[in-house]
Amino acid sequence: MSSVVLRTENVTQRFGGLCAVSNASIEVREGEIVGIIGPNGAGKSTLFNDITGLYTPTEGKIYFYDQDITGKKPYEITKLGLARTFQNIRLFPTMTVLENVMLGAHCRTKANLLDVVLHTRRNKKEEQDIRERALDILRITELYDFRYNYATSLPYGMQRRLEFARAIASNPKILMFDEPAAGMNEEETQDLNVFIKKLQDMGYTILLIEHDMKLVMNICERIYVLDHGALISHGTPEQIRSDPRVIEAYLGKEE
Amino acid sequence: MARKILQGWAKWEKYINAFLLLVAVVFPILFTRPYLINVGVMCLIYVLLSLSLNILTGYMGITGLGWAGFFGIGAYTAAILATRFQVNFLLTFLAAAVVSAIFGLIIGLPTLKLSGRYIAIVTMAFCEIMRTLEVNLDGLTRGSRGIPNIPKIGFGEFNFSRTVQYYLILAIVVLTMIVITRLMNSRVGRGILSVKDDDIAASAMGVNPFRYKVMTFAIAAMFAGLAGAFYAHYIGFIDPTSFTFDQSTIIISMTIIGGLGNVMGSVLGAVTLTVLPEILRPLMDVRQIVYGVLMVITMLVRPMGVLGGFNLRHIRQQMGIGKEEKARELSSTEN
Ligand SMILES: Nc1ncnc2c1ncn2[C@@H]1O[C@H](COP(=O)(O)OP(=O)(O)OP(=O)(O)O)[C@@H](O)[C@H]1O
Ligand SMILES: [Mg+2]
Repeated sequence: MSSVVLRTENVTQRFGGLCAVSNASIEVREGEIVGIIGPNGAGKSTLFNDITGLYTPTEGKIYFYDQDITGKKPYEITKLGLARTFQNIRLFPTMTVLENVMLGAHCRTKANLLDVVLHTRRNKKEEQDIRERALDILRITELYDFRYNYATSLPYGMQRRLEFARAIASNPKILMFDEPAAGMNEEETQDLNVFIKKLQDMGYTILLIEHDMKLVMNICERIYVLDHGALISHGTPEQIRSDPRVIEAYLGKEE
Repeated sequence: MARKILQGWAKWEKYINAFLLLVAVVFPILFTRPYLINVGVMCLIYVLLSLSLNILTGYMGITGLGWAGFFGIGAYTAAILATRFQVNFLLTFLAAAVVSAIFGLIIGLPTLKLSGRYIAIVTMAFCEIMRTLEVNLDGLTRGSRGIPNIPKIGFGEFNFSRTVQYYLILAIVVLTMIVITRLMNSRVGRGILSVKDDDIAASAMGVNPFRYKVMTFAIAAMFAGLAGAFYAHYIGFIDPTSFTFDQSTIIISMTIIGGLGNVMGSVLGAVTLTVLPEILRPLMDVRQIVYGVLMVITMLVRPMGVLGGFNLRHIRQQMGIGKEEKARELSSTEN
């Protein structure tokens, strides 16, 4: 069996009296596409934030390939090989599409102050290399023609794609997408479906949060269901579909 | 219309810069009156100060309200070394830059984790603290009597003429502009911009926001210190009144009115606000008011400053005449 890329162990996140995530244990194996679903406010994004270091869990541990990453800073975690997108897109508005993607490669490049001020050969070469790589990624995400536009001048669907591109540029082991299909129409969602499959073929492991059930059921091999911060179910799409607890969480208890 | 001008500027930037440099070079040849050269030197000192603050406020997005504090640190460092230890200007310049950068680190490390508003207040307080120290550390700074007879820039008995000093500060300014431009068009510059744009996203993409803020703060302080050192040697006398909060206000007015995140903005802001009061001599007393009014108008019409936020390289790329595009065309015709 392939090795575990990411594992959370009884992660709990409290905000004052509110328990946004309680005792969540999930794992993602190499090459998998795993989904996290749950009603609004279930704690999905909070769990993402815990994993990527934006929050520090109140309790519990997070492991990346057996390495304890609990409480590490986001940029340290990204460097290890985790990259994410945000539910409410967060691009860099004063940078071009290309620069946004190049920034994604920040943790894979080295040029320091002296290099850039003196224009050393190493700096020139590195700059050219990540430029080429960023352009390649922009071709895959079909944003190449917009490379010099400002990131936030793009239409919504493209901004989402740009966030994927930026995450990919960091050369991660695992990609984490928070509601990648949000705001996309049927056709765009279909493209996204194909795109995520393609990423899997390229060797990426993927963990995603999604409300679009069709997409989730289509591409995820395993699904975790969060409700009120707690994991209430876990299994293959078929198992999830027929789990009464899940139906109850989504539709409410029948009186 | 504005778009056309901008594109023209982007297209001809190299030539426009060359022309402006030429104007700056021939200025002391055409206008030999000491008064005019003096105005020229003061313009350039303020350009350097404004550029340094632009690194912090324009590019990094941190409002530095007490910038005269670092100007003062540089000036006092140079003045003390030159008057007490007869250190040559090359070394006093270097020392001033280093000491000022170190102060930047000392101020930056504990405060840059705070939100922007607090940092602005801290830098403001810092300027006041420095001024108080300058007044009270009598043994070191001679207090409010100031430090007179600071050696002129030169080597041993040989002093540079006013014109040569003009060229020296011009060279420093040009070098600073080159450094900033290179910095901003690089991996490090992208890191800086990403933190300014969205430090959470930057952090999630592998940039350490705190480190970038501290680094930028120190670099900015370094250039302000350098300006201070030149000023001390050039004027020959410094006292705490040169490094007050009013001075800070003048510097930030230049940076903001000229344009945040644009080196030419700093040139425009500093030259305009240095020359204007000279032309309007009678208005000298209300200089602050003039600055205030200009600032308010700019804030209303163009919050980023007259030339603020324009990135000529981006405009060239969008027009399809970027350097990279040309390189690509060349290599594709080769195959
Ligand atoms: N920084 C925070 N401080 C306080 N409460 C928070 C914070 N972040 C999230 N919460 C709360 O935690 C709960 C879970 O929020 P979260 O964003 O994780 O839900 P979600 O499952 O992603 O929902 P959605 O599907 O709407 O995106 C919510 O009640 C939210 O208000
Ligand atoms: Mg969410």
